[in-house]
Amino acid sequence: MTIPVLVVDDSALSRKLVIKALPQEWDIEVTQAINGEEALTAYRAGKGHVMFLDLTMPEMDGFQVLETLKEEGANAFIIVISADIQPQAQERVKQLGAVAFIKKPLQGDEIRRILTQFGML
Amino acid sequence: MSIAPYTADQRDALQEVVNIAMGQGGSSLAVLLDTFVALSVPRIRIVESSAIAETVAQMVGDNTEITAVRQGFFSYLRGEAIVIYGQEGCHDLADLMGYDANPDAAIDQELLLDVSNLLVGACMTGIAKQLGADIGFSAPSILAERCPVYNLFKAAKLNWTHALLVEISFSLEEKGFTAHLVMLMPEESIMTMRDALDRFLESL
Repeated sequence: MTIPVLVVDDSALSRKLVIKALPQEWDIEVTQAINGEEALTAYRAGKGHVMFLDLTMPEMDGFQVLETLKEEGANAFIIVISADIQPQAQERVKQLGAVAFIKKPLQGDEIRRILTQFGML
Repeated sequence: MSIAPYTADQRDALQEVVNIAMGQGGSSLAVLLDTFVALSVPRIRIVESSAIAETVAQMVGDNTEITAVRQGFFSYLRGEAIVIYGQEGCHDLADLMGYDANPDAAIDQELLLDVSNLLVGACMTGIAKQLGADIGFSAPSILAERCPVYNLFKAAKLNWTHALLVEISFSLEEKGFTAHLVMLMPEESIMTMRDALDRFLESL
């Protein structure tokens, strides 16, 4: 079954790098969003069973997306990919329901490692 | 002389490079203060030198009295990094670091120099490293104390035609503290940065 995957980042470059790092054999359909508002709209349209989420974005940031999804009782599988590497940010996103935190710049097989760890591949 | 603006790809690459460097600076500050630091989306502009003061005032908010620390950087990229603090923020900082309610001015200054050095060092080193470049710094010094943000660039005496301005900010949720880090680079560094960004994009 094709899995809807949502890549959320205000940087086109960053979205491109994330999409490039997704395992090739993974049967997915990728949707992109450039801020939190777009991410929520896409999620509500069923396009984000798995979500790769940036934190620092204009309009609505990643923390607000996580808060909103938590309030709505959403059950997306959310991996945060962010340059905001402070320990408190990592704790906070996990409390808000993200399953994992990946530091930018993206290194090698980090995404694959996490997907494997959670049995997604 | 006119300077061509960056392409959409170059801007996007610079924005992401700055974003990653800012994350490293923010993390250093969060560890130092043992608190959560909110980061901004980096703002990037190329302006004529006559517009520097106004642009920075817009970025920082022009109605505030500020204290600013300046630190030069050189080597591959050359320019000035200026950390701008609102007056309230200076007191918050002393408070967070566990200093007395009425610290003397010398301690306040030393603290601002230390925090500025930490932010500028982490951010500029982060940018240079991603672009595969070396960078050196001058010692930080107080550029202006308790002055309107407009007066900053009278004090800075920049003899440039154009400037690349990069602004990021760090703020604390429970306190009024915000520090704006503004990096300014003159015309030749605008060109150098353009080449570095092209190489960075090719390497991806």
